[in-house]
Amino acid sequence: MKLELQGITKQFPGVLANDRISISVDKGQVLGLLGENGAGKTTLMNILSGLYRPDSGSIRIDGTERTFRDPAQAINAGIGMVHQHFMLVPVFDVTESVVLGSEPTKGPLGSFDRTTARAQVVELSKKHGLHVDPDAKIESLPVGVRQRVEILKALYRKSEILVLDEPSAVLTPQETEELFEIIRGLAKSGTAVIFITHKLNEVIAVADKITVLRRGAVAGETTPAAATAASLAEMMVGREVQLTVSRSKSKVLEPILEVNEMSVLNDAGAIAVDRATFEVRSGEILAIAGVQGNGQTELVEALTGLRPIDSGNVTLESKPFAAGSPREIASAGVAHIPEDRNRDGMVKGMTIAENYILNTYHLPQYSKRGLLDRKAISAATEKAVKDFDVRTPSIDTDIASLSGGNQQKVIVAREFSRNVRLVIAAQPTRGLDVGSIEYIHRRIVEQRDSGAAVLIVSTELDEVLALGDRVAVMYEGRIVGILDAKDATRERVGLLMGGIVA
Amino acid sequence: MSRTKKSSKGREKVSASSVPAGVEAHNAGESAEAHQQQVAARIRAGLFAIFAAVSVSITSGSFGVDGNFAFWSDSIGGEQVFFSVPVALLWGIVSVGFIAITLLQLLRGAKFAWRASIGIIAPALVIALLARLLDGTTANLTVFFTSTLSFAIPVGIGALAGIISERSGILNIAVEGKLLSGAMVGSIASSITGVAIAGPVAGALIGALLSLFLAWLGIRYKVDQIIAGTVINIGALGITSFAYLRILQPYSEYNRPIGIETVDIPLLSHIPILGPIFFSLSPYFYASIGLILFFTYMIYRTRWGLRLRAAGEQPSAAGTVGIDVVRLRYRAMLIAGLLAGFAGSYIALSGTGGFGINTSAGKGFIALAAVIFGAWNPVYAFGAALIFGMTSAATTLLSGLGVSLPPQILLSMPYIVTIIVVAGLIGRVRAPASAGRPYDQG
Amino acid sequence: MTRIGAFARKLRVPALSIFVALFIGALFIIFTDVEVLGRLLSDPIGALSLGVGRAATAYSALLRGALGDPETIGKALASNGDVQLWARALRPIVESVVASVPLIFVGLGVSVAFRTGIFNIGGAGQYTMGAVGGTLAALIFGGGVTPVPIAIILVMIFGLIGGALWAFIPGFLKARVGASEVITTIMLNFIAAQFVFFLVSNFEFIQKPPRIQPVSKELSQFVDLPGILPIESLRLDIGIIVALLTAVAVSWFLFRSTRGFELRTAGLNIAAAKYAGMGAASSIITAMLISGAISGLGGALVAVGTVKQLSPGIAGSVGFTAIAIALVGGTRPSGVVATALVFGLLQHGGSLMQVTTSIPIEMLLFIQALVIAFIAAPELTLGIIKNPFVRRSKSVTK
Repeated sequence: MKLELQGITKQFPGVLANDRISISVDKGQVLGLLGENGAGKTTLMNILSGLYRPDSGSIRIDGTERTFRDPAQAINAGIGMVHQHFMLVPVFDVTESVVLGSEPTKGPLGSFDRTTARAQVVELSKKHGLHVDPDAKIESLPVGVRQRVEILKALYRKSEILVLDEPSAVLTPQETEELFEIIRGLAKSGTAVIFITHKLNEVIAVADKITVLRRGAVAGETTPAAATAASLAEMMVGREVQLTVSRSKSKVLEPILEVNEMSVLNDAGAIAVDRATFEVRSGEILAIAGVQGNGQTELVEALTGLRPIDSGNVTLESKPFAAGSPREIASAGVAHIPEDRNRDGMVKGMTIAENYILNTYHLPQYSKRGLLDRKAISAATEKAVKDFDVRTPSIDTDIASLSGGNQQKVIVAREFSRNVRLVIAAQPTRGLDVGSIEYIHRRIVEQRDSGAAVLIVSTELDEVLALGDRVAVMYEGRIVGILDAKDATRERVGLLMGGIVA
Repeated sequence: MSRTKKSSKGREKVSASSVPAGVEAHNAGESAEAHQQQVAARIRAGLFAIFAAVSVSITSGSFGVDGNFAFWSDSIGGEQVFFSVPVALLWGIVSVGFIAITLLQLLRGAKFAWRASIGIIAPALVIALLARLLDGTTANLTVFFTSTLSFAIPVGIGALAGIISERSGILNIAVEGKLLSGAMVGSIASSITGVAIAGPVAGALIGALLSLFLAWLGIRYKVDQIIAGTVINIGALGITSFAYLRILQPYSEYNRPIGIETVDIPLLSHIPILGPIFFSLSPYFYASIGLILFFTYMIYRTRWGLRLRAAGEQPSAAGTVGIDVVRLRYRAMLIAGLLAGFAGSYIALSGTGGFGINTSAGKGFIALAAVIFGAWNPVYAFGAALIFGMTSAATTLLSGLGVSLPPQILLSMPYIVTIIVVAGLIGRVRAPASAGRPYDQG
Repeated sequence: MTRIGAFARKLRVPALSIFVALFIGALFIIFTDVEVLGRLLSDPIGALSLGVGRAATAYSALLRGALGDPETIGKALASNGDVQLWARALRPIVESVVASVPLIFVGLGVSVAFRTGIFNIGGAGQYTMGAVGGTLAALIFGGGVTPVPIAIILVMIFGLIGGALWAFIPGFLKARVGASEVITTIMLNFIAAQFVFFLVSNFEFIQKPPRIQPVSKELSQFVDLPGILPIESLRLDIGIIVALLTAVAVSWFLFRSTRGFELRTAGLNIAAAKYAGMGAASSIITAMLISGAISGLGGALVAVGTVKQLSPGIAGSVGFTAIAIALVGGTRPSGVVATALVFGLLQHGGSLMQVTTSIPIEMLLFIQALVIAFIAAPELTLGIIKNPFVRRSKSVTK
């Protein structure tokens, strides 16, 4: 089937998410839909899958105009979605998950015909080479297999247009490669595939044609043959990617953070960080690269006291802190910019001032005999808002009403308000606009220049390469390599991220 | 802005699902959970052992005392059959039972079907306790059993209502309010029309109405479902008490429902002793058993049930494959309301008194307890309702016979048991993961 | 100016919801009147005017019961200080304040928990256990065993402890094993009532002679709380003073203290609280202890001072009403006190309404339920307008 979207426009309050977007994909073709965070990719796909309705524009399948009022209609039209966050019921088994919504039944009560369903799933998975155990519980399956279940769901519904939204975000390189094989196989058998990603190399590897979105509109169309990573990046970002942060050479001094054979368990009790060993020295930035989900989150949580360290030892300025609470670690001079600012970094519903003192409120300058010193808090916040260029009507504004960039500035201002010996920044610029990214990078480099040790964890390779004086790579919980900036080429780091240790 | 919100949501999910860094690590995760289950199993074994020890000590102190019981042999109020059992024998049986359960629990660990074993031992325990406390006085066990059922029917069906709505993803603490409204409206309808069937039908309808109101508050206005449930509970207590005092009391002809007669099942009801207990009961009882079995099948074996559970566990998974989660939840709430209202009508129609202020007396909350104790499975929940019913029947019987025992302790048992179960001390129960959360696609 | 405007905006929703609820209540009065119903078909206008008249009579009785009878007040004003007349004129409003005392306490207690993100619907149980503590203290230390002020202080302390202990159970279980506080507090409400039943029917030390009814001895024989009004027959005791002081303390605690900051943070975002090094578990337990202690203090003071007796049903519907009050008052101490006073007026006015027009006071429960629904729904309706995500998902779910 041939799918065409023409002039799709969708307005949310304050955001023009899609602005006259037109794309098309043919039978047997793989369309790479490339765009940054916030480019409008997901909105477009939600329109395609019947979750949203466009304000204007049309969807055509094989030339016929279609409107989808709900997901069921989109499914019936042959569109299958594999969402970025899997839509699976953890306590169901694979068979139930695949057929949910189009279950074979028998009898007057609509009894679920399990035998037929199971046979269909087995047959389907054999036919497309998607190996899964039809009786396994979803919650017991690794991420890559869950994704196969998602693809099976779409195929079970006889989807001829398959949409994959950021499918490699949580996959290992091998799993990604397997996924590409699957996609190629599907295309060969006639399925039209839309592959949404922000990873340049992936579209080049798998797509037959590429459409680039920027700020809700189509920024360009090309083919892998005609495009280079650099040209795609330029289309995606709108100008020559200038991520090299201007900075002097680092003056590396004594080690601040020493991590020795540290292992950390995740929530399920599995090993998430496996005997990691590294150090971060005063005056340098150590950037940890890696695909999301390789233990970085647990590593940061362990180093900031949010997760117990299972074994190994960690010292901060030669003092052990393995048993430290977040507060003790913070008072020892560690600034922590958390990975997910909405979840950990700020309290929506509280003012900027309250968020500014979120983890310093107990210090003597803000708290006297168990009471908050409002004057001191206001004065300090006013100063921070000015210093960090936070755009806000007042310090008594609810932080929820600020833009992401300004929220992150409040967090950075708070973390840098103390005497900092070590900065731990996880995904410090995720989801921010370019201006805020540059600003926050500059602030981090300033900390380094003033003698702090900086540990940055980022899944964005560009950020890692731009900031790191040394680059470490995490893969399946292990630090698989640490490179000096001069040796840290995109290729070498990329290979390490894929678990290929030269 | 919209991205940041999404990414925060996504992250939670990713960190929850991107568990394993390799198969090896994955097994470690499973074993951690298994370990937790083993601990719970050991705690259960310990509890059973304590019960066993207490039973043995009671046994040794009960020699020479007889427990005197009676049954109605042919029909209720007819001829009584008397018999006595040595109390020590009863307690001996209970002791052996508890010892066996303790051993099985120890040997089989987490795999042991402890719920079922409690279901078997509990009636024996209650009877033994009764015999011991009666201290020679005669107790009619037919009365005991029927009074157990009259408690268990509204609680069990109320629990079924709770299970269906929570399986669909809507927390239902409003069972109490629906029972109460069902009781009053059932009584009025039956009194006005003079038709017996009008009572349960009207009760079910008002329950459905309230249930849809709850769903509407929760789904349409995203009112916290606990608050919405509280609104129903308070409102129902207020309205029914108000209407009772204002209308039913001064004009008592509106509160003289046609009693629902017991149905004698041909032949079976003439079996001595067993007949009056099992085969000469209110049609409500047979309907309840039917409903419990029917919905157990529906929940676990049909397309409807599969979708219901999907909506309660992970509504986005259902929504993205084209299932209308909102409509599904409304329908589930409609069914839950019909059931709860029906159960409520039983309270007013089974006895002779019609409706009285707060006549449900917390049965809706005990139904919640049964839901949790029964791990959201209708059959188990009905079992729990029966056990709770026995404790209540024993209390009634004992206080009627003037036996001096603080019945409050027995009456508190359902509540205490529920707290222990919710605390997960004796084994985790897994609530539908999305119960109580409004359905947000994103 | 803007501050007054903001204040008025804040008041708009609660005031409107109480007003609309009372209006619906009036409809109920009209359409549950058998006489009105009987004539509705034959003479609809006559029936309706009869109904409206009855509703008006009922509400005016409610108002007089709540605030006082203008005529009596006029006489008192004219009387040049006749104590008897003044007592009669002031009694309704004083009694309304008396009725609001338990509501203030439990409303405050519940609010502290709500602020911390804990849905404590165990106000009734905690209040009951506070009453148990207060009663025991009165029986043990009252009646001349210790000096009166000390006995009173002990009553309050025992009340605090009773309520706090009862709230500790769900708090601990939530903090340590994640047990839903909604379920545990509901269950503990019932257990508390059964426990009181047990106490007042099994112990000679507690039960009122000749030990037939399940109630405690008359507590005024042991401890009598001093009144605060110059007219002795008006029974407003130090309970209201303690209640108001508690409100000030809670306000101060929540918005000025570091611990209060921690609790509010935990209530809004538990992950951020952990990130900031605040112990989430300790916040939950602290909030529940404070919440239960406040409700318990109320239970003790009301049991000893106002009801002067312990009985299983001592909490009545205070637990429910407190939830309504906490929500209407925006879980702010000032809002809670104001709302509790309004509900106190309704409650006492309602009892006069019941006596003079035989319209049952139970109507208030229904009105409270409506108020909660109105408060809870507009908040979300406003949220839907403000928040694009909710609106978006609304379009999804439609």
